[in-house]
Amino acid sequence: MPASRPHIVVEDLRIGWGNRVLMEHVSFGVERGTTLAILGGSGSGKSTLLRYLIGLEQPMAGRIDIDGVGAPHVYSGVPPFGVLFQSGALFSSLTLAQNLALPLTTWTSVRGPLVEDFVQAKLDLVGLGAFAGHLPGEISGGMKKRAGIARAMMIEPDLLFLDEPSAGLDPISAVELDNLIVTLSRNLGITVVVVTHELPSIFLIADDCIVLDKEAKGIVARGDPRRLRDESAIPFVHNFFARSSPSASAAGGR
Amino acid sequence: MGCDQSVVAVRTEADGERARLVPAGTFDLAHASAVVRAVEQAERNLISNGDVDLHLSALERIDGSGALVLARLIDRLEARGHRTRLIGDDNSNAVRLITLYRERAADARPKPTPRIGPLARFGVVTAALPGTVTSALDFLGQAAAAVPRAFLSPRSVDWSSLPRLMQAIGADALPVTSAANLLVGLIIGFLGVAQLRRLGAVVYVPELVVVAHFRELGPLVTAIIVAGRSGAGLASELATMQVSEEIDALRSMGFHPVSWLVVPRCLALVITLPLLTWIGDALALGGGLLATSAITDLTPRAYVLGTAETITGAHFLDGMIKTPFLGLIIGLIACGQGLAARGGAAAVGERTTTAVVLAIFGVIVISAVFSTLFTLLGI
Repeated sequence: MPASRPHIVVEDLRIGWGNRVLMEHVSFGVERGTTLAILGGSGSGKSTLLRYLIGLEQPMAGRIDIDGVGAPHVYSGVPPFGVLFQSGALFSSLTLAQNLALPLTTWTSVRGPLVEDFVQAKLDLVGLGAFAGHLPGEISGGMKKRAGIARAMMIEPDLLFLDEPSAGLDPISAVELDNLIVTLSRNLGITVVVVTHELPSIFLIADDCIVLDKEAKGIVARGDPRRLRDESAIPFVHNFFARSSPSASAAGGR
Repeated sequence: MGCDQSVVAVRTEADGERARLVPAGTFDLAHASAVVRAVEQAERNLISNGDVDLHLSALERIDGSGALVLARLIDRLEARGHRTRLIGDDNSNAVRLITLYRERAADARPKPTPRIGPLARFGVVTAALPGTVTSALDFLGQAAAAVPRAFLSPRSVDWSSLPRLMQAIGADALPVTSAANLLVGLIIGFLGVAQLRRLGAVVYVPELVVVAHFRELGPLVTAIIVAGRSGAGLASELATMQVSEEIDALRSMGFHPVSWLVVPRCLALVITLPLLTWIGDALALGGGLLATSAITDLTPRAYVLGTAETITGAHFLDGMIKTPFLGLIIGLIACGQGLAARGGAAAVGERTTTAVVLAIFGVIVISAVFSTLFTLLGI
């Protein structure tokens, strides 16, 4: 496998429905083993872009290529990536342990007590070891998210898509989760695509980022988030990273 | 998944007083079973009681699952008193992964849920019965209290949703209820002809259709269809609102969910069910006409005349008077079940199913009560 080919290639993507175009001319690549953050204001289409990347919807135009296999809308065999949906998307009639066991027993030959060991270990990694027998309805939103991440990692994928992983988590859990992502990324070479707004997270985990804007209908900035924060001349991008709002400062704020 | 067994192994070597374990090969999820077997084999081969070095240089590939198995191995060795060392200067990734899985192993283990036998399960259901009855009565109380409140403070009810509800519950159900009533009229016609023809009394079939359908079958069939259709629709709508915190939001804004949501829905049912039944009754007469025209010499004109002679206000009203009550029971059961949903998607499904079953049963019970009452009163 040529090591130089990017893990994900997106070329001239156009996303929309009917006459409405949400974004167009979206092109970017994600190198293997790096972490890309997809940033933007609310309504800019970050989570929507993620849905297209994982193949849940078909774009109006353009190309998405994951691992040289082509468009991800045809799944046959082991899913090539793990996905965390915004609220965890756990199956509400199964316990956490059953939720996590499902990808394992479906796509691998692992059976019996080994399944429990793997499930328990992944839950321990996200700090939910004591809740394996709980139903999703019995745990908090942040815990559901963490369980969702554990489930996304069950088949040891080399690509993870995470939709707002640390939103709604307390600061300690959030930083533990970020550290976990960094560890997995650096030590296992997992490629991670994260949709997030959390600035401390972005600076910690992201190697690269793209900033979407609803009005511009596409990518307005890209690159190393630290460099963008320090050097960007675009007001929207500067305000985003400096966590400042033009109206707040105009009203004589701090 | 055909994996080459010889690719995965854990070599045990002695190094003076220290034992050396060298995992070799692909320690990943695809080879999980082989990895576990190799590790167990190595543990059995370990004879020394001294320190153990785990060399990671021969690992071709390692992922989370492989790291976990090795981490647990080290845990077990240390629990047995061996001092272990991880040696992986050229494989620091593996070292960090194994350390991660060892660090994050929680001390807290979930308590295994005890299995309960069928008798205990029966006990649980019975013990919950008083609670179920109490909450049902509580809901009925709230519904009753909502009626005067609707007059005293009209803004407690979402009147603006009434037209849309009447459309969905009434107008949209019209094709189905009309077709069903037409067919039931047809069935009564065939049945009547079959029985009365033996007595040479086919001329009484129109009266049979009027009496049977107007008094009993019309309201019953229409209500059962609406119970299935709108019972499911209302229960699932309210159950989904409940599990997505919309009901909590209503309460936090000072609305009474029963006034705001349940009153318009019950009202829509009470208004539209009589209308649906009325139209159904008319179509049933047509069904009876079709039946008799098809299999007897009774002319359509004779049928119509026979119907006109026997159709009385009493037959019609005795059937129609049940319909508002049937609508009300469907509304109360469906909304009550919906609001009682707790949990997630599974709860919505459960409540919807219970609502439909109870609503259909409730409709049949109410019809039976009215029939008994009318018979006893000689109406």
